[in-house]
Formats: sequence, C-alpha cells, structure tokens
Amino acid sequence: MSEFKAKSKRYGGGFRAFFFDWMILLLFVVLVAASAVTSEKFRTVGNIMNVLRQASFISIIAMGEFFVILTGQMDMSISSTIGMTSIFFAGFVVNNGIPLGIALVLVLLMAVVVGLINGALTVYGKMPSFIATLVVMNVLKGIYYIYSKGLPISGVPTSFNYLGAGYIGIVPFPVIMMLLIAAMLYVITKYTAVGRGFYAVGGNLEASKLSGINTRFIGVLAFVVSAVLSCVGALGLTAKTLSGNVNIGEGLLFDVMTIVVLGGTSLTGGRGKIFGVVIGALFLQVISNIMVLMSIDTYWQWVVKGVILVAVVLIDSNTKKD
Amino acid sequence: MTTTVGTATPLLEVRGCTMEFPGVRALDNVSFTLMPGECHALVGENGAGKSTLSKCITGENRMTAGELYADGKPVKLSGYSIRESQHMKIAIVHQEFQLMNDMTGLENIFVGHYDTRGGFINWKKLEARARKLLEFLQCDIELNVPVKSLRTAERQIVQLTKALLDEPKVLILDELTAVLQEKDILNIFRIIGILKSRGIGVIYISHRLDEVFSCCDSYTVLCDGRFVSSGRVADITKQQLIRMIIGRELSGAYPPINENLGETILEVKNLTAPKAFRDVSLSVRAGEVVGLAGLLGAGKTELVNAIFGHHRVVSGKVLVRGKEVNIRNPRRAIRLGMGIVPDERRMLGLNMLFDIKDNTTLPSMRRFRVGRVFQNLRAEARAAYEVNERLNLKYYSLWQNVKKLSGGNQQKIVVAKWMLRECDIFLLDEPTRGIDIGAKFEIYTLVNELARAGKAVILVSPEMEELIGLCNRIYILFEGKVMDEVEGERKTQEVIINSLLGVSAHE
Repeated sequence: MSEFKAKSKRYGGGFRAFFFDWMILLLFVVLVAASAVTSEKFRTVGNIMNVLRQASFISIIAMGEFFVILTGQMDMSISSTIGMTSIFFAGFVVNNGIPLGIALVLVLLMAVVVGLINGALTVYGKMPSFIATLVVMNVLKGIYYIYSKGLPISGVPTSFNYLGAGYIGIVPFPVIMMLLIAAMLYVITKYTAVGRGFYAVGGNLEASKLSGINTRFIGVLAFVVSAVLSCVGALGLTAKTLSGNVNIGEGLLFDVMTIVVLGGTSLTGGRGKIFGVVIGALFLQVISNIMVLMSIDTYWQWVVKGVILVAVVLIDSNTKKD
Repeated sequence: MTTTVGTATPLLEVRGCTMEFPGVRALDNVSFTLMPGECHALVGENGAGKSTLSKCITGENRMTAGELYADGKPVKLSGYSIRESQHMKIAIVHQEFQLMNDMTGLENIFVGHYDTRGGFINWKKLEARARKLLEFLQCDIELNVPVKSLRTAERQIVQLTKALLDEPKVLILDELTAVLQEKDILNIFRIIGILKSRGIGVIYISHRLDEVFSCCDSYTVLCDGRFVSSGRVADITKQQLIRMIIGRELSGAYPPINENLGETILEVKNLTAPKAFRDVSLSVRAGEVVGLAGLLGAGKTELVNAIFGHHRVVSGKVLVRGKEVNIRNPRRAIRLGMGIVPDERRMLGLNMLFDIKDNTTLPSMRRFRVGRVFQNLRAEARAAYEVNERLNLKYYSLWQNVKKLSGGNQQKIVVAKWMLRECDIFLLDEPTRGIDIGAKFEIYTLVNELARAGKAVILVSPEMEELIGLCNRIYILFEGKVMDEVEGERKTQEVIINSLLGVSAHE
C-alpha cells in the first residue's frame, strides 16, 4: 500500500525536473515584477487588462500550433488561415448579408477543411509538413486576395465588436475565452486518451502505432485543431477592428513559434504543456508592452523577440533533461 | 596461428584505472593486460564498465586515475586523446554502424584518409589499397555500391577494413557480432585468427559467451565497474564464467516447458508477403511457446509484424480462435488480443519521452475511462504499479522516465503493457536482444509464466539455445519459407542448423 504511494508520488525526478517544468513561469514572474517596479504605467489596471487582451488572441492561435508541434510537425499556414477567416467572414457578412452566427459557422467549417487538407497532405501524402503547409499557405493567400482584390472589407455590425473588445466586469471578454479554451485543452491533454495520443505520436510514431494508437487520426486532428484555433483567434482580431483585412495574420507565425517554444514545447515533438503556451504568450506580450511604455522604437521588438527565440532554443537544445 | 603469450612485453597494459563521471564511479581500480597476438575477451553485464574501459584505452574518456603502458613504456595521460591513441595504432570497431549509408564502401573506408595528388583524390590507388586489405582478410565485397545495399555482415567487414587502414597493433571489437548470424560470426572468428597471426592484439567485447570460448585466448571479467578476474579461457568453464559475470549462481537454466496445452488460438495459412516470406503456415495453441528460427533476412520479423498487421501481405489467411480475421493494422490485432514485443525496444517498443506509467498503460487506456471520455489517472497508476511489481521491475517512481532504465527493465515494461492489456497472443521478437544474462533469465521465466497462464506465445530468437530451452515447437524459416518444423526429439541444434542453412532434413 504505502509502497504504491511512494512509487506514485509526482516528481520522481526531484527538484531538477520540477524546476525545468516551471522555469518559464519563474522567468515570467521575474519579468512582471521588474516591469512593475520600473514602470508606473505598467502597473495600472487598464494596461494590465490591455496586455491580457492582446495576449489572448495570439495565445489562442499558439495553442493550436502547439498541438501540431507536439505531434512533431509544423503548421506554416496559420497566417493564411487567419487572413482567410478575416476576409471571408467580413465578406459573408458585409457583401452577402449572411447573419453573423451563420457566417461564423461557415468560416469555422472552412478552417476545418484547411486543417484536413494540411493533415491529409502530411499524414496520408507523407509530405514534410513544412512544405505541405507552406504550399497551403500560399494557395489560401491567393484565394482570399482574389476574393478581396487585396482590399479591406469593413462594415461588420458593431454588435460583433464584443467578441474582440467586450468586457465582463473589468476583464476583457477575449481573456475569458482564452482561459476557457486553455482549461478545456488542458483537460483534453491530461485526462483523455486522444490527448495523450498527441504526446505519444510526437514522442515515437512507430511505437505508438504498435501500441494501437490511431496515429493517422491524431496526426490529422492536430492540424484541424490548429486551423480551428487560428480561425477563432482571427475572429477575435476581426471583431476588434470590425473589418476583414488581408494582412491581419502577417508576421504572426514568428510570434506564435516563439510562444510555443517559450512555453517549453519540444520542437521535435512529444513534450510540452498547454499552460506553458499561455504563459509564453503573456511573456512575449509583456515584453512588447514594456518596450512601448519605455517608448523604444517598435522595430526593436523584432530584434528583441529574435534574441529571445534564439536564447530559448539554445537553452532547450543544450540542456539535458531526463 | 601462433600465439605468443608469456614472457613477451604486453602490447597494452592498464593499471589501476579509475573513471569517475559526476556522481558515478564507472570504473574502480581496474587492471587489464593485452599481449601481442592474443584475442582477449572483455566480459561483464551491461553497465559493468566494458565500454568505459575501452573508451579509456582509445582516449575517448580520460581516466580519473591509473596508468597506461604501451609496449612496456608508460603513456602520458594528460593530453591523451583519440588522436594520440590512433597514433599508437589502437583502433576500434563499434557495434553500431558508423558508416555513411549512401556512400560506397570505398568512400566509407577512406573518408578522412584521402590520398590526394594536386588536390584530387586518386580513387584508383585507394581502391587498390582497399582490395589489398580485403585480400588480407580473405573477404570479397563489392566496394563500389552504396553500403546500404550490402548485407549487415558485409557492412561489418567494411568497418573492419576501415579500422585496419592504419595497420593497428591493438584492435578493439565492441560487440561486433551482436547483429550477426552464426555463419557470419564464424567468418569474423576466421578474420580474428588472421589478425592474431600477424601479432595484432584483439580486445573482444561480447555478450555471447559461446563466442568467448570459441575464439578468445584470455578473458577479463568486470562487474559493477570492478575487476573480478582474469586468466586463460582454456582454464575455465562457461558455468564458472557466468558466475563471475553476474556475481552469483544462476538458479537453474531454463524453466520446464509448459506441457498443458489448450485449443489452437492462432493459425496462419499460406501467408505471403513479397520480398519477405511466402506460403507460411503455422499454428499456436494456448499455453504453447512456438519458436521462429532463421538467419537474418529469413523473414522472421516481417512475419511477426504481418501477423500483427504491421507488414503488408498479398495472400493467405490468419485465423484467431478458428475464425478468419482481416488484420489491417496493429489496432485491429490488439483488439483481437495480440500484443507485440518488437525487436527494437528503444525504437519500437517504448516511447522514450514517456514515463513508466504512460508507457505501461498506452495500449489499454480505454480500460481506465470514467464517463467514456476522461481517464482515471489514479486507477491507471494503480494498475501500472501492480503489473510492474508482478514483473519485479526495478524502479523508484512510476513517473520516472524509461530512458535511463536498463535494457532488461525496459523490456519488462514492454511485456507489462501487454499483460495489462490482457492479451492472449504474445508475439515476442528477440525479447532478449542486448540485455544482460541475469535479466535474460528473468525474461525466460516470464515467457514460461505466460505459457503457464494459457497464453499463446510466438518467440523469435537468433539464439538457438534460447529457442530449444523455451519452445514447445520451432518453425525454421529459410529465405522466407518454412523449411522445417521441429518438436520433441528432433528439437536439436544440429537439425535446426541444417534447416537454417537451407539443407533439407527430410530424405
């Protein structure tokens, strides 16, 4: 009895494993504390809520990419899924007069199709996901540029604004949405067989197959989750400006990758935590915010984020974890 | 073959070698002497320090304390490196292939040792040199095709040739024969004979003790990093050697074979897969252990995988409990009660990023569901604990990563996961590959217990002794066909070897 207790105690690896699991949280706390001490504007409730709201969209998108990376693949097409969502949603509502709810379902279905295509090319077509999703990215981009002629589509009803800019009490609605999604995904990764399947497939595809995991299903599902969450994030971004915009997703891929890696996800798959992604997103957003508050040229953000990504990957590649 | 042992100066001598890694003492005051023209076996269990000692000799590891003498002269250990040891004509051939698969044998042999003229490689000259070396070894190998198209044994010869390029005086063979079949092993022995006759000292590391007795002159046994014994092979018996290696007496060899057989559980009829095996028929009864023997490339692994739905077949039938089934994928096989222990434990058997609990429960997660969706983690841990305890797994926590466990313990987890799945057909593909003698016998007991519990077991093994000791019946495959089926009195090494080599035992 007691022997079972001893052998089922969490953190068999001791302090070291614990430390590596929560290193990013520790760094985040330090960063927030430092920011709060140095900047008065940072400490205001308004600013903090703003940071949270900004972080929520990107962290929803990053949680999708997280699943793809967890299975050992990569989804390059998210920027186009975001652009597609934004343009077609606005187009459906403004040009075709489709009700908001139906337009929402339509774009979500489109995202599912994008995910299925990515998954099919990678899992069934055995293409390297890097190339498959790169192709899908460009083709999609072509499609929504043709549809919109590259112009923004404005005039989405203001009632939709709530999704991107609404508040519940003092907390922005997107933050609530992000936390709900994160909680749901956490439960899926930890307490369901499918959730563990993502880790199994990323950790060792062949061994998973021989253990009876439906590896193809899991592989495709990861891309679908990624596309759908990109779509949800994009809806939030579109709701904020109430217009469809072709370049709404430009440059997001880099931030998303940084966030996923910052959260402790292994780029070769099989290792990572959903809350790590949330903390990674907050971390990156706080960096942006503090740089703005200190009135540093925004172009410096690219440099700083690049340095962060290199540092994190360097640490990850060169530390031995058990 | 002349072996000069006695008053001659040792080629190599290690005295009081201690090697410490942070937190572990891998070698503790070990001494080792190699004479010219002798083949010296370095034996011990996994983790006994054999590889560490050979790395100390090649300079890959720097010993913490100790002395090294070459030809009777002390070697300065500060600054001793691989480069230095190469200079002293010490060469090593590793068990793992260190060849570039897409390059030809010739390119592989000379990589880094090009003979250039005016910046251009003189391939003609290099080929002539390689041919001469092969002639010396009395081997004939196609050097101008990518090595990946060569047989395993031929690739080993390429590695050997590469090592002989610098005309070494000391040659370390690190588990060279682990992946070879009998016939090719005999060829290696022949080559060792040639090397010895030239006065080259060979350090021979192997898990297979039979090899020690058939090709080595002297032995050194290590146990837990300590020196146990050293002497002439002719002076000891295999039983004595085993005792020295595991530091205790081995309780009886093989457990008695289960004779209490039930109905036929698995039947395979005329199964054919192109390029792997054809027209294979076999059957297994409950409580029976059925062996599959055959040389490398005879189609054993493919056959087992095909039964498990992991290798495509073009014709034939599989029947489980008398009913014909169509096993398209492993999932289907598992649902029919099959479990597989693949030949490559680390690549196919386990997920190295997972802990013990997750590896154990991976195929049976469905059993621990609450409300059809969620996993009951506590129940999973409890079940994983119980099955692993039953198998005597050595571990301290269920959340421990499987990567650092020993080979034998890892293999137990692979078996445990199918026991937890309550399989009744076990497909074991070389379950004792690369694990120590002590652990091997634990696996033997386990196989026997499975049979006694009424499971049907198919056992693939390259070791004939193992098959004879464990199996009720043995099918012998030769080039993809069932050559013979032996049981009872015909279950002897002689009959099996004949069939293995394609010589029909029937008149």
